Amino acid sequence: MEREILAGLKKMVLNYEIEKAESAAKDAISKGVDPLRCVEALTEGIRQIGEGFEKGDIFLPDLVASSEVVKKALPPIQEEITRRGQKTASLGRVVVGTVFGDIHSIGKDMVATLLFANGFEVIDLGVNVRSDHFLDAIKEYEANILAMSALLTTTVMEQKNVIEGLRREGIRPRLKVVVGGAPINQEFADSIGADGYGSTALEGVAIAKSLLGTA
Amino acid sequence: MRRGFRRRIPPVKILSDCEVEAIHHATLDLLEEVGCRFDSKKALDLLKKNDCIVNDQDLRARIPAYLVEEAIRKTPSSFLVRARDPKNNMMFGGNTLYFMSSAGARICDPETGIARTATLEENNQAVLISDALENLDCFPSYTPYFEIEKIEPVMLCPTSLASRIRYSSKVSRGAQVTDSFIWEIQLAQAVGQQLLGNMEAAPPLSYPEDAINAGFGYAEAGFPIYIAAGAVMGGTAPVTLAGSTITNNAELLAAVVFLQLVRPGIGIIANDFVEPIDMRTGSPAFGSLGCSLHHMAFNQIWNGFYRIPTNNTGPAFPNSKLIDFQGGYEKTHIAMASALSGANMIVLHGGVSSELSYHPLQAVMDDDIAAIVGRTIEGFEVNDETMALEIMKEVEPMRGTYLNKAHTRTLWKKEYYVPKAADRLTYQEWLKTGRKNSIDYAHERMKEILASHKPTPITPEQDKEIDRILEEAKRYYRNRGLL
Repeated sequence: MEREILAGLKKMVLNYEIEKAESAAKDAISKGVDPLRCVEALTEGIRQIGEGFEKGDIFLPDLVASSEVVKKALPPIQEEITRRGQKTASLGRVVVGTVFGDIHSIGKDMVATLLFANGFEVIDLGVNVRSDHFLDAIKEYEANILAMSALLTTTVMEQKNVIEGLRREGIRPRLKVVVGGAPINQEFADSIGADGYGSTALEGVAIAKSLLGTA
Repeated sequence: MRRGFRRRIPPVKILSDCEVEAIHHATLDLLEEVGCRFDSKKALDLLKKNDCIVNDQDLRARIPAYLVEEAIRKTPSSFLVRARDPKNNMMFGGNTLYFMSSAGARICDPETGIARTATLEENNQAVLISDALENLDCFPSYTPYFEIEKIEPVMLCPTSLASRIRYSSKVSRGAQVTDSFIWEIQLAQAVGQQLLGNMEAAPPLSYPEDAINAGFGYAEAGFPIYIAAGAVMGGTAPVTLAGSTITNNAELLAAVVFLQLVRPGIGIIANDFVEPIDMRTGSPAFGSLGCSLHHMAFNQIWNGFYRIPTNNTGPAFPNSKLIDFQGGYEKTHIAMASALSGANMIVLHGGVSSELSYHPLQAVMDDDIAAIVGRTIEGFEVNDETMALEIMKEVEPMRGTYLNKAHTRTLWKKEYYVPKAADRLTYQEWLKTGRKNSIDYAHERMKEILASHKPTPITPEQDKEIDRILEEAKRYYRNRGLL
């Protein structure tokens, strides 16, 4: 029965069944299924979606829908993990956000979804994120990576402000910083002291992995 | 006054009258029930005072249908914008079609497509070239380049306008970012010209503080306003053309309501800047079919039904990274669809590679596209002279020719358009030129313009005043910690 439930969770991700995600997760927990195996099943589903996206067989709306399924299913599963005193394995913890003054979200959402699909724990701060909010989140979640997006030439310098904030707080050495967005290039990323630059969401994920030595 | 092109054919209608009504009705429903967010207490107070239901928590104003339709009625179907040289004044609306320059973040290498930041000199040269192009009528805000070497981002817009004032006497649009309007209004007033003001939404259904402040500023300065809501279908708007037409309508009509409350009777040109998303990269898919269809519906609704002048941005930004065939067809199919459906302005000249780059060579070649598209909607005259029946009766069947007729000699230039940057040689001539192509011709034209074109000059006093305003802008931004 456990095998069937786990297969059902994976299928739910592959079929973008957002409406039933939460109830299916609660049902699995109530039937005593190991919550870590539930996370594994969901991750397998989203990894398969991610692979399809990389190949060009699966597109953005599918990627977003599958990540919505996982976002809805995770909370009851996480609760059970905490209750049991278990820990989820991840490649690293990433704080993601679009910088202050900028409300573009699509690229950032793609990066967040693909990072999750590739085994990272992702804390998505959303858009128009102030510098101090990034710093607070990095400290609270003990992030290994900060991933910032900026899509306007008038907001790209905010990425530099955040990095300078990390230095002022003395926490810059504790993490890696990856930047992205249409006006950004490697030259700019180097000039502001970022550790990596991704010209596409997929490249951003590869860089995150290589910076943490998990590629 | 700039003539533009005068559409002599009825606009192509892509929607039925019932469909237009349905879209308008749905727009009113959306504005009544969901409303639009305005990130400004001053704007919300104004809307609240005028019967909108304002929620101070989520900053939304729900706008009653009657207010929307009243604002549409108050908006003139035509309006004038004064350039610093009256020969470049523009009268928007009616059946007139103008062309606006495009822009790009950087300059692209015409051979390789590689983009780099432009120098101020390259920016000035590009403006000068645009001043010379016959079918380029005005400029948008941060154009040609929205990054210039050694210019801090916050000073880009005022510096860019200063360059356009110095190197061209054509009309410009102001910008809305970071209080730029304060300086751009002063720069325009220093040389006695108006601007097209600017107010752009942040879809879905919201206006950020910058946009609203700019709206107030430009309207209070007496400038007409260019409104826009750059949404991506499937991202910040519904993926369907019908759905994204409704959300775009709602976003723009919210601005129309607001601006007519600020300054009743203000001239407004509504821009359609909606495009599909590329579902692999998440980037806007400029140059695509979705743009042209969206523009056609937009023009029919705004120009035909609301009687508010329209602008279409789709042709401005091809997806191609190079000056090439793909870029050419992407621009032309959208420009033609826009013109045939009644657009009053089309953004076209110079953009390469989405919004990433620009090159004046592209602008030179796009001037030919503008001419061809513009001449298409002007059609041709049918009268006794052009029908030429009397001449036909003189020309002998089989042996006769029209080539020696005065009719041909005097009228061919009016009937045809000869592109300025295209290869039209015979094959043998082409071989002898070393196989010159359109980019080579554009290059020659560019050099000619740079060597000989002189824009209408500004006075030394005006030049000094421009410098003073820019210095004051720098002090302002330094005090705000932005410089």
